[in-house]
Amino acid sequence: MTSVDPGTLLAICVMAAATIFNRTAGFFLMRLVPVTPRVRRVLDALPGAVLVALLVPNAVRGDAAMLCGLTAALVVAKLTKSDFLAVLAAMAVAAAIRAFP
Amino acid sequence: MPAAKAPATLTLTGAIQGARETIPFMPGLAAFGMAFGAAAAQKGMTLAEACLSSGLVFAGLAQMVALEGWTRNWTFSALIALGLLTFTINLRHVLMAAAMRPWLGQLPAWQSYASLLLLADNNWAAAMRYRTEGGSDVGYFVGAGFITWVLWVVSTAAGHIVGGGVPDPKAIGIDLVVPAFFVAMLLPNWRGRREAVGWGTAAVTSLAASYLLPGWWFIAIGAVAGAFAGGFTDDER
Repeated sequence: MTSVDPGTLLAICVMAAATIFNRTAGFFLMRLVPVTPRVRRVLDALPGAVLVALLVPNAVRGDAAMLCGLTAALVVAKLTKSDFLAVLAAMAVAAAIRAFP
Repeated sequence: MPAAKAPATLTLTGAIQGARETIPFMPGLAAFGMAFGAAAAQKGMTLAEACLSSGLVFAGLAQMVALEGWTRNWTFSALIALGLLTFTINLRHVLMAAAMRPWLGQLPAWQSYASLLLLADNNWAAAMRYRTEGGSDVGYFVGAGFITWVLWVVSTAAGHIVGGGVPDPKAIGIDLVVPAFFVAMLLPNWRGRREAVGWGTAAVTSLAASYLLPGWWFIAIGAVAGAFAGGFTDDER
C-alpha cells in the first residue's frame, strides 16, 4: 500500500513537471509582453474565450445528457445567479436522462 | 472599462473566503477524486503512488487520461509521450495563468508563482469572476485552490481504499460538475458586442479544431482565437 515504485515515481514527476510548467509559463511569458491597452483587452477577453472553448466542443460532441444538463445550468444560472444551483440542476438533469434513456 | 480595480493583496481573510465559497462544490470534486483513486487502484498503483500523483500533478483530467496507458515499465519514449500528453491536456492553464498577469503580477514574484502552483479550473474560474466583480485579494484564489488540493488528495486516498465500491461517476452526473460550473462563471462576463465576437469565434474555432486535430489542442486554439477576436473588437462609443 505504501510502497512507491521508482519508475512510477519518475512518471509522476514527469507529469508534475508538465503541470507546473503549464501553471507558471503563461504568467512568466506575459512579463515579456508590454501590457498596452490592446494587450489588456486581449487578456480581458481570454477567460471567457477559454471557458467557451472548453464548453462548446464538450456540449456539442457529448451525449444528450451533457447537452441537456449544460442547457439546464445555463437557464438556472441566468435565473438564480447561483453557481451552486446551476451545477445541481445540471447533475440532476444528466442523471435523470441517463437513468431513463 | 474595469480600469479602476483595487491593487492586489494576499491575506488570510481572502483565503478563508475563497475556501468557504468552494465548500458547496466539495461533494462533486470529491466524487471525481474518488473515481481517480479507484481507477488508479485498478491499474495497480499503490495508495502512496495514487496520493503522490494527486498531490504533485494535481490535474484530474490529465491523471485520468494518463491512467489509460499506465505501465510498470517506463521507457524514455513512453515518459516523453506522457509529458507531452499532460502538457497538451493542461495547455489551458498556460492561458489561464496569462490572464491573471495584470492581477497577480502586482505581488512579489515568490507569492505569485507559489499561488499559481494551486491553479485549477475551479479556483481560476471563481477567482476571475471575483476579480471582475472588483475583488483584489489573491488569497481568494489561493484559499479556493488549497482546499481543492487537500480535498483532491484525500478523496483520491478514499477512492483507492474503497476501490470497486465507488459508484459510476457518469450515472450521477459527476462529469457535469466542472462544465456546469464553467457555464455559471461565464455568464457574468457577458457585456455585449466584444463578447459576442470573441465567444462566437472561440466556439466555432474550438469545435472545428476538435474535429480536425487529435487530442486536446482544440481548447488552446479556440481560446487564443476567441481572445484575439474579442480583444480586437472595439466597443462602440
